[in-house]
Amino acid sequence: MSTKVQVTRPTKIELARLKRRLKLAMRIQKIVKDRLSILIMEFLDTVKECASAKEKLLANFRETYKALSITTGYHGYAFLERELLASDMAPKICTATRNVAGVRLPVFEMEGTDAFNVVMGNTPDTSSFIDNSTTLSRESLKAVIGLAELQNSLELLGTEINKVKRINNALEHIVIPGLDTTIKYLTMKFEERDREEIARLKYVKMLIEKREAYAY
Amino acid sequence: MFETCLKNDLKTLNAHLPRKRKTLTELLEEGHPHVECGDGSTHFFKKKELEYLSEILNNTEKQMLLLPIIIEVGSAEGGMAVRSKTGVEAKIFSRILEMPMTCTSDMIPIYRPQLQVLRNVLKTSTQYVFTT
Repeated sequence: MSTKVQVTRPTKIELARLKRRLKLAMRIQKIVKDRLSILIMEFLDTVKECASAKEKLLANFRETYKALSITTGYHGYAFLERELLASDMAPKICTATRNVAGVRLPVFEMEGTDAFNVVMGNTPDTSSFIDNSTTLSRESLKAVIGLAELQNSLELLGTEINKVKRINNALEHIVIPGLDTTIKYLTMKFEERDREEIARLKYVKMLIEKREAYAY
Repeated sequence: MFETCLKNDLKTLNAHLPRKRKTLTELLEEGHPHVECGDGSTHFFKKKELEYLSEILNNTEKQMLLLPIIIEVGSAEGGMAVRSKTGVEAKIFSRILEMPMTCTSDMIPIYRPQLQVLRNVLKTSTQYVFTT
């Protein structure tokens, strides 16, 4: 990729300023690269966790539906509906954020699981089928919350990775090469100016020497 | 314009660091354990993690351990490091990684494969800081 030389005034001060900018850009690129690698690592870990959470959730659902159908068969719909009405208590979910390399990720935690358990499990006329269904339902709910957290984190991390990648690419392919080329151009220009100056001085010296020789 | 963007990005890069870290004992007593970050947001800790840490440490160590544990990225050669004055962090890492961790001149060096394991266990109890 060809880089354009961008210089407003070819002076030594400008050259020093450009060198300083190049140094800063390189430092920033190092940090950006570190951040990118950390974000990718977190993203891959989250992907792995997400896959295992999905598998766990599906297995949980399978077990829960099986247990519920057995319970329904044993007790009947009317009894199950009555039990569900008795356990009509919404579980509390605490939502918060955690920070991973500058990205705010959600944290979901189920609150009051014990209360949920008590209401679901301590009604009269219960059987081990209902207890089993309750336990499995609770596990499924936990798995759903866990998966929601992971999916959301995955999306946020993906967006941030794209953003950081763009910054890194801009630094790597545009900013740093551009500064490098401009510095080279200015250095060559100053060297050329020095050479011209030396040649001019030599010529003047020669002229003076000639004039002095003719004077005698 | 790009430079301005970069400068802003750098400013916000480490803005997530906590204003003041809390000890494990303090966090265990809180209903919703959290710390306030430099950018005004809050960083929450999972209770499970805090309970796990409290199982590893004794009462004196619980009061010495400051959370979140800050992992410095870019400080060591090609790796990361955790600053530890008390050495409690080394004990936690040794337990998680199942290998002895040494604390040399207040720093515990961590390598990438170790970091993955640590982050899997301590997701909310650790935070990154980027240095050059």
